[in-house]
Amino acid sequence: MIGPASEVGVHDDDTLVARLRDGDDLAFDEAVTTMYPAMFAVARGYVRTRSVAEEVVQEAWLGVLKGLDGFEGRSTLRTWVLQIVANITRKRAAGEARSLPFSSLELERDEPAVEPERFRGPNEAFPGGWRSFPTNWQTQPESQLLGRETLELVARAINELPMAQRTVITLRDVTGCGAAEVSEAMGISEGNQRVLLHRARARVRARLERHFDG
Amino acid sequence: MADPTPVEHGYSCQEVVELASEYLEGAMTTEQMTRFELHLNLCDGCFSFVEQVRATVAMAHVLPEEEISPAVKSKLLAAFKDWTRE
Repeated sequence: MIGPASEVGVHDDDTLVARLRDGDDLAFDEAVTTMYPAMFAVARGYVRTRSVAEEVVQEAWLGVLKGLDGFEGRSTLRTWVLQIVANITRKRAAGEARSLPFSSLELERDEPAVEPERFRGPNEAFPGGWRSFPTNWQTQPESQLLGRETLELVARAINELPMAQRTVITLRDVTGCGAAEVSEAMGISEGNQRVLLHRARARVRARLERHFDG
Repeated sequence: MADPTPVEHGYSCQEVVELASEYLEGAMTTEQMTRFELHLNLCDGCFSFVEQVRATVAMAHVLPEEEISPAVKSKLLAAFKDWTRE
């Protein structure tokens, strides 16, 4: 696992839970701050607007406080918290068209990571081989790779992804949650979680490729 | 025009691009990983592709994250104080 999210590991979990139960303001402040990006991403996967997602996060914390004394630590604290967020959003979305399990709809479609036209056909020499190779981005100057323009493009590309893909890539690659955590929170298998992640990364990569190669 | 890519190493390039996340996620069997890496060692196109996916992940990881608004935070802290008193 990478990123700041992994700092809230299982070991720190017991301490954090104990501090919260003791009414430690600082611990609560820290938990509310560090878990916000992941909680918001889960909420945003089901509801239409940012402001509703923000409300859901607040409601979820009230649910967390209600349930904290009964929390048995069978999952990490964050996984449990994310599941509470998911439950609340599902209930809220129940009246909307989005009440359908969003990821299953996206998973039904086939979606190649790279357009089939980029590969040689079955009757050509070397079927399934590249017609022309992707370029080596390592030759791009770092200022370009991690420059503001590129990062804005990545943010836009993520924002425009189908809902389940956007939720998974935000949780995994932006926020740094682990695979198990994300699949548990979203109620999908790790395999399906990986399919969504792969498609999301492939779409963002394709956008970057058009940007770099023109 | 790229050099023709040999397919006799197990996976075709088209298969490799679909397996990239399984590889990066460590979700492959040892045998699959060996075949995958053999292909990468011999195919510049797929090597670049996998590096591009890695770069995409690295870029996503430096994006600014959502931040809790001060108003929401103070509401929650107030709720926490109430909960503590109960």
